[in-house]
Amino acid sequence: MEVLHNLSFGFEHALTLQNLLYCALGCTVGTLIGLLPGLGPLSTISLLLPLTYSIPTGGALIMLAGIYYGAQYGDSVSAITMKIPHASSIVACIDGYQMTLKGKTGLALFTAGVSSFIGGTVAIVVLSTMAPALGEVGFLFGPADYCALMLLGFFCVSFVSSGSLLNGLAMAMVGVLLGMVGTDVNSGVARYTMNLPFLMDGIGLISIALGCFGIAEVVKNLDNKNVLTPFNGKIKLMPTWPEFKRIIPSALRGSVIGSVLGILPGGGPTIAQFAAYAADKKLSKYKHEIGTGCIEGVAGQAAADEAAARTSFIPLMAIGIPENAVMALMMAAFVVKGIQPGPNMIATHPDLFWGLVASMWIGNCFLLVLNVPLVRYWLSVFKIPYTVLFPAILFFCCIGTYSINNSLDDIYTTAVFGFIGYLFLRLDMEAAPLLLGFILGPMLEENFRRAMLLSRGSFNVFVNRPISGTLLSVIGILVVWQTVVFIRKLIKSPDHHIHSGKQGEQAPTPVAAAATSGSLASGE
Amino acid sequence: MNFNNRNFVRGLCLMAIALVFGGVSFSYTMGELSRSGPGLFPLLVSSFLFVIGVLTVVRSHFVDPVPLDYSVKNIAIILVSLVGFSVISQFVNMILGIVFLVFCSTLAGTSYSLVRNVKISIGLVAVAFAFKQFLGLSLPLY
Repeated sequence: MEVLHNLSFGFEHALTLQNLLYCALGCTVGTLIGLLPGLGPLSTISLLLPLTYSIPTGGALIMLAGIYYGAQYGDSVSAITMKIPHASSIVACIDGYQMTLKGKTGLALFTAGVSSFIGGTVAIVVLSTMAPALGEVGFLFGPADYCALMLLGFFCVSFVSSGSLLNGLAMAMVGVLLGMVGTDVNSGVARYTMNLPFLMDGIGLISIALGCFGIAEVVKNLDNKNVLTPFNGKIKLMPTWPEFKRIIPSALRGSVIGSVLGILPGGGPTIAQFAAYAADKKLSKYKHEIGTGCIEGVAGQAAADEAAARTSFIPLMAIGIPENAVMALMMAAFVVKGIQPGPNMIATHPDLFWGLVASMWIGNCFLLVLNVPLVRYWLSVFKIPYTVLFPAILFFCCIGTYSINNSLDDIYTTAVFGFIGYLFLRLDMEAAPLLLGFILGPMLEENFRRAMLLSRGSFNVFVNRPISGTLLSVIGILVVWQTVVFIRKLIKSPDHHIHSGKQGEQAPTPVAAAATSGSLASGE
Repeated sequence: MNFNNRNFVRGLCLMAIALVFGGVSFSYTMGELSRSGPGLFPLLVSSFLFVIGVLTVVRSHFVDPVPLDYSVKNIAIILVSLVGFSVISQFVNMILGIVFLVFCSTLAGTSYSLVRNVKISIGLVAVAFAFKQFLGLSLPLY
């Protein structure tokens, strides 16, 4: 009952005209920008984050959340119609694009929209019941446990976003090191500032995010010279009743899987989609059709995607640790607005928390009512040639960086990170873990130093405490598993050399190139 | 030793980053584990990163090499246009900065058209004015 009471309290806040407007605006702009090639949720949020600075706190968070799931939906639209995915919609490319080839684009888009709605609704129920409960757990966390949780987050994100523990972990560590730049909070010593005054406060998050995800991405697309063929097919949205009936079970299955996977460290939409797709392949009544363009292949993953996108707010708001790069950006937005996410947030800012939860459901409705029927008009975004698009993206990067501190110097920092981001991209180094590492770095250091202080310099504290002990043993298992897999591959191959099939997929076909480029750019 | 192998170069890069950050961390007070100074944590992290770098290099010997491909031209053009935008906005005004950004960055595109650039510039300047008016950003437009 308490949940219902809280939710109605939330709706009171979310249903003000102003907040409704921000929600609709966020969903719409998010979808539009999410549709654009090479701009996944991460780049969309970092582009639009500075624009929300001048908006009141509640509205800004509601709008950002709207941008996030709008971008998520926009992604799946571009995946279904043209097979250009970002990390958040790789799975939608499989059956979704097959349906387009069969001329059932409208049905696929409708399925994705309705399933997202179902997934989002289930996730909100989970969010409103679980988050306060998990907030209680958050109070049990000591410094050592926070450290362990962040480390686990690094490992999981590395694994999920780049598929290779080593690469992702390296980037997370680089991020942590970049986070060290600036004044040390404990001693007041300026570290790694190279005597530059503007580095005393640390490197700006937006500079890193826009450099690595905005500018590097633009240059990579320019290098690829990929020409997109806009989608010109017919779209018939409304399904027949038997078709509609097929959506429900699969979407419900996906919602549950997504809700669960969204909460875990390193979890989030990407892994949830794969899991839901795999589950549909095993459990669905029409499993023989999956992969050839059937409704279940789209419904399950879309629901999981949306559900996980929402439940991944739980660790952020209940414990205060973002579990993936998108949530790390969200956390930055919270902090800019003067709110420290964590166990205290729900108690001290109930209006923000419940308002956000309620607005998510409202956003869901907007997506369903506005975006699904309007999708055919939005596809005209693709008719804009890239030569027009990329100066505009650069312009937004500049304005975004500038407007944080009203400082033109920040644009130089962004340019530097654009260059670094490009190098990373060319070296196959995933930038998403870097962003997470950058945001969590100072927190990790703080908690590590505190844990060491409490334990008088003994590392035993990490093993002795039940929470951190468990989390660290999960990390141990992950490491051992990865090593065993690598060594087994090495021994099995005849010339003791690994010919990874993954590189084969990066063959220079335009679609594969687009696919890999998308997945490189905006990992969760 | 193949400098055209992405995996190998990546390992070297990581080691270099670790060495830079680790090296500089020695210039700060270390303290001890129970009462750590500002240098200890960066040293720990960069040592860990160095190990990862070594492992990456070792691993690259057992995995098929991936060629390194890059083009200097595009990234250079984009960086020049960003820096130019900032410099011009600082010394002249942002409208000119936007025009420069458009005209310079489109050099990297597949085709170049003056008319189109003028149109893009007008569009973006209009957007900038809208931001200033409706979102309250303080842009030094003129």
